[in-house]
Amino acid sequence: MTLTRISKAIQGVAFFLTVLSCSHAGAAPDALAGKVKAQACAACHGEGGVSSLPGFPHLAAQPQLSIFYQLLQFRDQRRKGGGMEAIAATLSEQDMRDIAAYYAALQAPAPVAGGSAEKITHGQQIAQQQYCSSCHGAQLQGQKHVPRLAGQSSEYFVSQLRNLRSGARADMDGTMSSAARSLTDEEIEAMAVYARSLP
Amino acid sequence: MTALPVSDIPTDKLKVPAGFKVELWASGMPNARSMVQTPQGTLFVGTRFPGNVYAVVEKDGKREVKTIAKGLHRPNGVAFKDGSLFVAELSRIIRYDNIEANLDNPPAPVVVFDALPKDEAHGWKFMKLSPDGNYLYFQIGTPANITVQPVTHAVIVRLNLKTHILETVAQGVRNSVGMDFHPVTQELWFTNNARDWVNDELPNDTLNRVTAKRMNFGYPFCHQGDLLDIDFGKGRSCDEFDKPVLKIGPHVAALGMRFYTGKQFPAQYTHNIFIAEHGSWNRTKKSGFDVVRVALDAKGNVTKKEVFVSGWIQGDDFWGRPADVHVMKDGSMLVSDDVAGAIFRISYSK
Repeated sequence: MTLTRISKAIQGVAFFLTVLSCSHAGAAPDALAGKVKAQACAACHGEGGVSSLPGFPHLAAQPQLSIFYQLLQFRDQRRKGGGMEAIAATLSEQDMRDIAAYYAALQAPAPVAGGSAEKITHGQQIAQQQYCSSCHGAQLQGQKHVPRLAGQSSEYFVSQLRNLRSGARADMDGTMSSAARSLTDEEIEAMAVYARSLP
Repeated sequence: MTALPVSDIPTDKLKVPAGFKVELWASGMPNARSMVQTPQGTLFVGTRFPGNVYAVVEKDGKREVKTIAKGLHRPNGVAFKDGSLFVAELSRIIRYDNIEANLDNPPAPVVVFDALPKDEAHGWKFMKLSPDGNYLYFQIGTPANITVQPVTHAVIVRLNLKTHILETVAQGVRNSVGMDFHPVTQELWFTNNARDWVNDELPNDTLNRVTAKRMNFGYPFCHQGDLLDIDFGKGRSCDEFDKPVLKIGPHVAALGMRFYTGKQFPAQYTHNIFIAEHGSWNRTKKSGFDVVRVALDAKGNVTKKEVFVSGWIQGDDFWGRPADVHVMKDGSMLVSDDVAGAIFRISYSK
């Protein structure tokens, strides 16, 4: 093979790769690109998507669509908190999809066993009465745009349900404000302890 | 929350009866829901999530989508009168005057009425101008799945556009997200979404007809005209309440409805009711996700209900959800889809 032919072959491969990468540009979410774009997120949401700051949500293993939708809501200022509106305003929708894909692929936060067994059982009962699993999944693992609650920070869980109850956090379609309106603080705390205990 | 790109919208999956044709009419409108069309032909489209209102216009033979309002709070309801677009947000009614001449630079809206409840649950509105043009009809849904609601809620109301007095039209209506006036009798007909968590088969969403003042359709005590509530029905009777004209199906989420007033479809479709079934969210096996056709006899009794458009769902996977229907001047029908962010057109030719 002459040098010219080798160089033509290389050009051919390069061209083929260019076509491939172009056909993917701006389309499918890219978890690898998301990892790079999510570097700043770790300050609050933790390395590996498990936050060590109380009150900040773990993002690891959240369904992709749920992170994407929350980012859209922050960008549009329909959800507020933690300075996320300003951060989301700097992201393109492709950035959001990539970041969501990155966090969705991470290992779920480890369950937290703390709290009395009695409280966990009580939390489970309340969650059953409220049909949480019909949207959040049998193990509260989340699905589609519905967030994972299993292993979630209990401080975050409590603050969000309270905000949904008071209307301080507007939910997507009223389902959560409807569900939260009759809950007592004690019931919310019991469910938070139950949710964080799930793998 | 976003719209599917045209290449990802599987229009060919939508099935219609023989002789009918489905085409993608407009796209790129995240969460496109309630529709109203002006005499000049502009179609306005409201949304529930993104806070946008869209206008679809035909220009030089091409269809163009413009976002004419952003940042509104659940602007689901749209109506049009004398050059003005009325938008129902969650807790207020606003108006854009001389809108069609200013689609690229819409005026600031005028607040028409804002003394409305602010509950998020079932707070977004379907809105319809009365045939005489004097009233805006809309619903105030119940603030929860099932509760003994304040008298202000679970009602259909009408706003007098001259006096701004709000009157209750019907009570005991859990949440109606679709209504229309019968083209002959001018009576109000509406769809009503039933409560959750009884079981997969009960209760049914309903089609209802307002024939008198002060009718009460039973919520929260009685559902679908004949089912006492498992929590609040004790000591009550369904005989206390007015009955629906049709049980549409459990959990189907019957939303937008219109009488067919066009001439393009075959004669047996005249004054039929078309209903967009948005589809169930918490039924074990998903149901709805179609447009159904309801035929009536001369007295307004239901004689037939059948699926008219289907194909938004394959197994348990849906790619779109029909939200509203609209009859165009040429007799074809538009169906909005708030997941695909698109509008389909259904036409008939022999």
